[in-house]
Amino acid sequence: MIASVLFFALAALAFAGALTLVFHRHPVVATLGMALATLSVGALYILLHVPFLGLFQVIVYAGAVMVIVLYIIMALGQEERGPAVGMAQTGVTLVAVGAFLFQMWRVLRSTQAGLMPDVERAFGSIQAFGSLLVEKYAVPFEVASLLLLGAMVGAVILSRRQWS
Amino acid sequence: MISIGHYLLLSVFLFAVGMIGALTRKSAIIVFLSIELMLNAGNLAFLALARYLGQLDGAVMVFFVMAVSAAEAAVGVAIVVAFIRRNKTTNIDAANLMKW
Repeated sequence: MIASVLFFALAALAFAGALTLVFHRHPVVATLGMALATLSVGALYILLHVPFLGLFQVIVYAGAVMVIVLYIIMALGQEERGPAVGMAQTGVTLVAVGAFLFQMWRVLRSTQAGLMPDVERAFGSIQAFGSLLVEKYAVPFEVASLLLLGAMVGAVILSRRQWS
Repeated sequence: MISIGHYLLLSVFLFAVGMIGALTRKSAIIVFLSIELMLNAGNLAFLALARYLGQLDGAVMVFFVMAVSAAEAAVGVAIVVAFIRRNKTTNIDAANLMKW
């Protein structure tokens, strides 16, 4: 019962944050809406019995990404003149989103939605996750570390001043 | 009670909203954040299905998506900063150098 109430509250918050991101004209408010959405999704992770991924979500998105983006907006990118998109762009968007929603509707309709089953206590524990990560997914794990290193080097090179 | 369908429906709606933002907004920063929102929606579906099937593999996938999106955030923000410096605006319509 309490889980249902929590789910609907968090879902509403996440959706409200997403709508704020997309439809609010002021970039700072839009970014704060995104922060609300990521925090709500992180809380949903905790509701799904994987609490440390919820914490990662808070640290990585609400902590790191949002702070960097807010910093960029406040330092450099204040102005934005309304979402005055042309007819063609609106049409393409409507077609794309409509096709996506139609396809998802077909998928969701064709599957019978079961209730969330009870899981054993070990599900979502850091121990189970960690052993899976270094045994079954050891190679992707190392590739991810290389990717982060490459991204760091790329970001430093891109933001050097002599580029202009 | 909450079924897997509720989570997947929320994920679909978040993804659709992110798609609208990525396709219609003019500010490069908001487009970037909309793409992050779409990644978040995919993560939510992954984790809901992992919980539903009782297998942690989906959670590992969420972990990797988070790593990729952190890398994307670092490089993306650097690109946006270079873009703003060059064009003095965040409007992505200014990125027309390779437009035919």
